[in-house]
Amino acid sequence: MPHLTLEALEKRYADHTAVSSVSLAIRDGEFVSLLGPSGCGKTTILRMVAGLIAPTSGRISIDDRDVTQLPVNRRNIGLVFQSYALFPHMTVFENVAFGLRRQRVEGQALKERVDEALASVRLAGLGERYPRQLSGGQQQRVAVARSIAPRPAILLFDEPLSNLDAALRDEMQFELKRLQREVGITTLFVTHDQGEALSMSDRVCVMAHGVVQQFATPEEIYRRPATGFVASFIGRPNRLRGKLLQIGGDTQVELGQGLRLPVAGAPVLPAGSAVDVVLRQEDLRLAGPQTAGHPGRVMLRSFVGARVQYVVAMDGGPELIVEAPSSGPDAELAPGQGARVAIDPRHVYVNAVG
Amino acid sequence: MKLDDKPGWGLATVSVAIIAFLQVPVLVVVLAAFSKTAYLTIPPKGLTLHWFEVVLTDSDYLGAAWTSLWLAVSATAGSTVLGLAAAYALHRRMVRGAEFLTSVVMAPLVLPSVVLGVALLQYYTLTGLRGFTVGLWLAHVVITVPYVVRACLTALASVDPSLEDAAHVLGADGRTAFRLVTLPLIKPGLVAGGLFGFITSLDNVPVTVFLLSASQNTLPVKIFTSVEQGVDPSIAAVSTLLIAVTGVALVLAERWTGFHKYV
Amino acid sequence: MEPNTPRRAGLMLVSPLMLVLLLVFIAPVLMMLPLSLREYVAGTGISDRWTLVNYTQILTDDYYREVVVRTLQLGFGVTLICLLLGYPLAYYMARTTPRIRFALTMLVIFPMLLNLVVRSFGWIALLANRGLVNNLLIDLGLLERPIKLMFNLTGLLLGMSHIFLPFMVLMLVPTIQAIPRDVQAAAYTLSASRPRVFWSVTLPLSAPGILAGSILVFVLTISALVTPRMLGGPTYKVMATLIYDDFLQTLDWPSGAALSFTLTAMTLVIIGLSSRLAKRWGGQS
Repeated sequence: MPHLTLEALEKRYADHTAVSSVSLAIRDGEFVSLLGPSGCGKTTILRMVAGLIAPTSGRISIDDRDVTQLPVNRRNIGLVFQSYALFPHMTVFENVAFGLRRQRVEGQALKERVDEALASVRLAGLGERYPRQLSGGQQQRVAVARSIAPRPAILLFDEPLSNLDAALRDEMQFELKRLQREVGITTLFVTHDQGEALSMSDRVCVMAHGVVQQFATPEEIYRRPATGFVASFIGRPNRLRGKLLQIGGDTQVELGQGLRLPVAGAPVLPAGSAVDVVLRQEDLRLAGPQTAGHPGRVMLRSFVGARVQYVVAMDGGPELIVEAPSSGPDAELAPGQGARVAIDPRHVYVNAVG
Repeated sequence: MKLDDKPGWGLATVSVAIIAFLQVPVLVVVLAAFSKTAYLTIPPKGLTLHWFEVVLTDSDYLGAAWTSLWLAVSATAGSTVLGLAAAYALHRRMVRGAEFLTSVVMAPLVLPSVVLGVALLQYYTLTGLRGFTVGLWLAHVVITVPYVVRACLTALASVDPSLEDAAHVLGADGRTAFRLVTLPLIKPGLVAGGLFGFITSLDNVPVTVFLLSASQNTLPVKIFTSVEQGVDPSIAAVSTLLIAVTGVALVLAERWTGFHKYV
Repeated sequence: MEPNTPRRAGLMLVSPLMLVLLLVFIAPVLMMLPLSLREYVAGTGISDRWTLVNYTQILTDDYYREVVVRTLQLGFGVTLICLLLGYPLAYYMARTTPRIRFALTMLVIFPMLLNLVVRSFGWIALLANRGLVNNLLIDLGLLERPIKLMFNLTGLLLGMSHIFLPFMVLMLVPTIQAIPRDVQAAAYTLSASRPRVFWSVTLPLSAPGILAGSILVFVLTISALVTPRMLGGPTYKVMATLIYDDFLQTLDWPSGAALSFTLTAMTLVIIGLSSRLAKRWGGQS
């Protein structure tokens, strides 16, 4: 039995539809990310689950209990806000204790639960401080402690790491994942950062324009993107315009002035259609000049740390950005050199224009 | 030529002069209260506390002071309760036409006070409320509530709306969230608005003067009507006492609430 | 964004105040309208007949015209004086250190909070025939007999400028503070002289504050009752004191009511015009 179920959830406003018939079934203890660009509806869904926004239609169930009409304060969920929303006039202790007091937990039991929550986010001993006396990272942890102290059924995160600098963000990603495993609480995590979503989640729900694009494990999303949007959103894409061709029994796509790439799978669109093509930088392989692959010339080389990026002008037209690991054999190609790019037909993602 | 725009000595001198000009009548009143003679000279021809004695033992003055005080306290209490509730609902757009309703609440600030005073005089005469305390109280609530509402709206605007959301998620209902989270955070603004309303009520003449019955009086109206009968240093003594009270109130208000931000 | 909050709660929070305002503010003002259209017969009181004379006499009768003109003169005069005195002070306050600015703000707010009657009384003590100014000048031998500083336009201009100056200053300071300092600095580097920079840069940029302050002071001045009554006495009248007399002395309520609406209309027109102007200038009023 799924723990959190969203059925045909819709949110319509006067001038646009934020969420269109979204259905998701999330298992007990699962960490699910809602991933997408801003405006895709992920935050709206989160706030509907929390009860802060009323859906236009659809159902939200926790453990098979319909909670759609239940007011916010009776849903037994936790929510970590993007701005943390710590009560500035209360100490850290009082902030964390707030939810517990509402549950009538008092005295010694209260103190123990608060200490337990603070210890789990590694902030023991800071109970008497005020939020303004803490760093951004510490405030974030207090927000998490406050949310889990009342032991809610579901834990929601609204882009909680976007205000942190990169190093802290990486650290917090591991912390949160570790915490979630320890506590075992069903978690819904909203983010626009694909790296975050892929690294932290058991499953990822990719969204665009209020519609679910794909709901699968990170590996599935990365290796087998279901739609053109997912293909271009996950990984580092080359986005090109091309023409779909049918040669013999094979489907091909023509890019630029004559570069033809075989495409795996049956064609969905008629031959001759203009199509959007996505080739991911990490899917393309640089090959030595003697091996198979489409010929081209290196124009530019960028060292990005763990990998090297090349801009390769292909014979027959388009420029492609190709990656190579910086510790590998192809890390030292110089501009002007010839190269071959191997493109697996399964990694040529073709979609209708638009 | 000075290239920075820090004010020069000329401007500083002019400013000091203007500030002095602002304080002069206040100082004159205080001087007259201590002066032995009924007319004013510099230097005064003698100092005395006699006029204070006269004022503090005069039952008319004491009665008027008492009326002013309880009227101000009760009107401020009323407008704080009504104004805070309304401000909260208006701020969160809990009713349609919130902007229109806000301007209705602020309208007493725009209407000349004397017009409100005479309108209420006719109205109370027609409805039989004339001379009754509740009529005075209602009038003072109307003139003080704009200040309370304005200060509350300012204070509410500075509170992060997700704070109340967070309280709700943690299990608090609407009333509890307001009491534990929003109210403590808007307290300085609320107090400042209440203080401003209190002073407005205490000060008021243009509305009050039309509504008092023969047996009622407030301090400012008493001073106002006494002056027509001739200038008398006891008026100066009363005024000095009022100045002292206002001065203390200002210092306390600034200490407690950072008053000058909400004026 | 709390659709779970029923509209009912909002109505319950707002209605008590709205009810009070309806009953004790809107209704009384509306009910004065028919009163202003009734005829008043000296000696017998308010008759049953309807008439427009209460309004027309404001324009046709010399006495009323004089009072209205005087009120407007006072309005413009006080506003001008407040601008001339208030702008330098506001400029100094805006550009000085925060500590000095705070002290000056307190010194500006303090007289504002004082009872209006007390402040007006202070001016009486200063301007009366046996008041401080006359006594001082006579003692110094500069005068032989006291000059009439009260019960005329001079006294009212002085007293009311003093009363409303803090309002002007408090409206100007934030506006001048908001003028970016580097705009002035830029003008200087373009070799403009100080007066030039003031007239062509600083002053125009403070226009919204000047407008807001002027409107406030003007409206307050023409609506004022206490100070004109105390410094002008029962014979030197402005519109507000005339209304006072109509209602409490002569008991000509219809005329007083008509004057009241005229005064209110003037106030609303001025505020309306100024907010149109402010929008055109792109400032806030």
